[in-house]
Amino acid sequence: MQRTHLRPARLKAFRKELPFHLMLLPAVILVFIYMYVPLGGLIIAFQKFIPAKGLFGEQKWVGLDNFIYLYRLPGAISALRNTVIIAFYKIILHLIIPITVSILLSEIKSDPFRRTAQTLIYLPHFLSWIIMGGILIDILSPTDGIVNRFLGLFGVGPYFFLGSNDTFRFTIIFTDVWKEFGFNTIVYLAAITNIDPNQYEAATIDGANRFQRMIYVTLPNMRMIIVLMMVLSLGNVLNAGFDQVFNLYSKQVYETGDILDTFIYRIGLIDAQFGVATAMGMFKSVVSTLFISISYYCAYRFADYRIF
Amino acid sequence: MKKVSVILTLLLAISMISALCLAESKPDPFGKYDEPVTVHFVRSTDDTLDANYFSQHPDKTMTDNLWCDLYRDKLNVIVDYDWIVKGGDEYDQKLNIALGVGDIPEFVNVNTLQLKQLAEADLIMPLEEIYDSYASDFTKKIMLETGTSPFDAATINGHLYGLPNVDSTLMIADLLWVRTDWLEKLNLPIPTTMDEVIATAEAFAKADFDGNGVDDTIGVAIAKDLWGQLFSLRGFFNGFDSYPGIWVEDENGNLVYGSTLPGTKDALKTLHEMYEKGLIDPEFGVKDGGKVAEATTAGKCGMFFGAQWNSIYPLQSCVNLDKNAQWRAVSIVSATDKPVKAQTDVGTLSWTVVRKDVAHPEAVVKMFNVFIDKNWGPENENGIYYAPLDSESIWKLSPVVPTNPNKNNDAFMALEQYRKDGDESKVTGEAYSILQKLKAYESGSEDGFALWGWERIYGADGAYGVLIDYQNKGMLQDNLFVGAPTETMTSRMSTLEDLQDEVFTKIILGEADVDAFDKFVSDFNALGGKEITEEVNEWYASVK
Repeated sequence: MQRTHLRPARLKAFRKELPFHLMLLPAVILVFIYMYVPLGGLIIAFQKFIPAKGLFGEQKWVGLDNFIYLYRLPGAISALRNTVIIAFYKIILHLIIPITVSILLSEIKSDPFRRTAQTLIYLPHFLSWIIMGGILIDILSPTDGIVNRFLGLFGVGPYFFLGSNDTFRFTIIFTDVWKEFGFNTIVYLAAITNIDPNQYEAATIDGANRFQRMIYVTLPNMRMIIVLMMVLSLGNVLNAGFDQVFNLYSKQVYETGDILDTFIYRIGLIDAQFGVATAMGMFKSVVSTLFISISYYCAYRFADYRIF
Repeated sequence: MKKVSVILTLLLAISMISALCLAESKPDPFGKYDEPVTVHFVRSTDDTLDANYFSQHPDKTMTDNLWCDLYRDKLNVIVDYDWIVKGGDEYDQKLNIALGVGDIPEFVNVNTLQLKQLAEADLIMPLEEIYDSYASDFTKKIMLETGTSPFDAATINGHLYGLPNVDSTLMIADLLWVRTDWLEKLNLPIPTTMDEVIATAEAFAKADFDGNGVDDTIGVAIAKDLWGQLFSLRGFFNGFDSYPGIWVEDENGNLVYGSTLPGTKDALKTLHEMYEKGLIDPEFGVKDGGKVAEATTAGKCGMFFGAQWNSIYPLQSCVNLDKNAQWRAVSIVSATDKPVKAQTDVGTLSWTVVRKDVAHPEAVVKMFNVFIDKNWGPENENGIYYAPLDSESIWKLSPVVPTNPNKNNDAFMALEQYRKDGDESKVTGEAYSILQKLKAYESGSEDGFALWGWERIYGADGAYGVLIDYQNKGMLQDNLFVGAPTETMTSRMSTLEDLQDEVFTKIILGEADVDAFDKFVSDFNALGGKEITEEVNEWYASVK
């Protein structure tokens, strides 16, 4: 009885929503074609894949050989370690620094100064890593780079920032944060602009000083956007930045600088070991999924935030 | 009447059949097609072509130039390219991806690994019959100048799957290029032992030749690509009885991978010591050949290991900037009590393969004929098509480049003879083109000075003389594995080479201890090196 009663209602709702579903359809189809269909290629991870025979050709099945080979390959484990370390620091710093800077910027009363500062700090974001790579290699050079010349004035160095395993990770993290923090700052600034000025007025009347207003008004109001940005960035925990590392690393710093993506690139596209490269990519995806699930759960558990 | 017509018909039939038979039995190596035949290649291009040909002929393109004209006029073959990329690495990557989707061009130049994959996937056709019937006698002679190994490497299950773009093996041997004007300034002799090389490097690094008061010269230039033909380390390692990247016999007569020899460790140790003394560029790991070439051109380095052509690029630019600079190629030196041997390899770097469904596969053989004939045949026009006076490298405009492996030897010997007896009539072909360049240089004119690089190769104390010396004095170590790549080699070798380069770079720069070499050897064996060594020895036993 109930069912027959419900059906027309649902049908009606569906009819009403149909245009929206249709609008969504192209996106769904694209995601299906480019995200789900290629998943079929994962079978390569279990094959001794000879490209010329094609994806559907008669490839030799090798079971878990590619994974075992990876485990024994000296660079694979260190690539995983480097990825996690570099990505971890990047995620943390990409939260703390832009948040701090955005709060400080929002407190500046001089409009022209704030705007200029904002523009200056987000400009590097628009330079590609190809260009940045060339510039950084020059200015960080131990023999004639401007940074080491400057440090030399104080009797420090020279440091081979991009060529020594002691400094490479630091350099990668520092330059990435420097390049991107300005752009992320804008996101948080937008959130701050949306805060109701009445709250600040009320706080002032209650006797809160500037610092207290930041802590008790600005920060709590930014909570949602901070959690959102964090959840989104945790999905990138195994993406330590291919463009950047690829343009800055060299053989001598593979030990501390080689990340999963560059490793997969070399094994797959340079060495043409497609089976091994796919195995590594698959491993990366599985771990990423794990991280995303955990972060999603944490966001829900501790901040009551859910995407779905 | 009836009889006559029958006889006539018979005669006609016989003549037609015999005509057909003739056409069938005697394919013409230089036969021109009645209808235009378009051949689709893919290719890579490089700076030398841009700088030396396209900049001077802005109206010319890859598909419209003197070589394409020649193929069209002689054979009615139209050359076209499905895609063109810049640089060999890009070419390999793009080709690997194209192979991955089975989308290969009609004709394509591949390496032996790619050739093997394509043959196994049954995408390319066997060429032995077409080659036999269409290659001219002269082509066949030239193609065998370095022995059968270029063909062996492309033969799978008894079928020839690729036409080797043959080239010289001798040319791959390393030389030591030294700045002799610096030697003179410091009153030093040409180094003949490794200790002297290091001492010279030290003297060069300490000296301030440009007088700018800054300690910015280095002794020996190397680049991040350790085994190139410029700023190479092969010649250095050879001095320690180590032969990176090739297969040599051990004391039991088995083949071993030259990079794993004990001498390699000594070489790495010495390089690390040189790094600590500031004799090599601490930044070499991040500098490619182009960057190091800039430094060399600017007079920041006085020695390096490399190939005979290095005087044309990059050293010509160095002397253009500093007219007092002088370079000379000398023999590599020994660090042990054994006489030094320079390593060589199969000179052939690419093989032209033909897709299975191509209608006129023989067209490519005819192109091989034309290329070889125009450049080195009895009626060659080498001075137009290969080595014209006013530009370099225009032979690269042809999609196939089978090179007479002995051409440089022959040319040098002819020039030596000319220097002895002064009889110019015997100097022909490429030697004649080169002689014109040498004369232009000797004239002292400004245009002639641009040919300094040629004089350094073919002059009386030129680089080629040193190579010929290697040959005559048995100072060469050939790669003893010249077969098609083995099963495990196909999949694992390039990763092992990567590992090797990483470990070697780290040891030189002190990022890893020299004992990391022993770990490299065990890793090498564990990650497929052992299987590869077994397969290589199996092959070696089969050809012995």
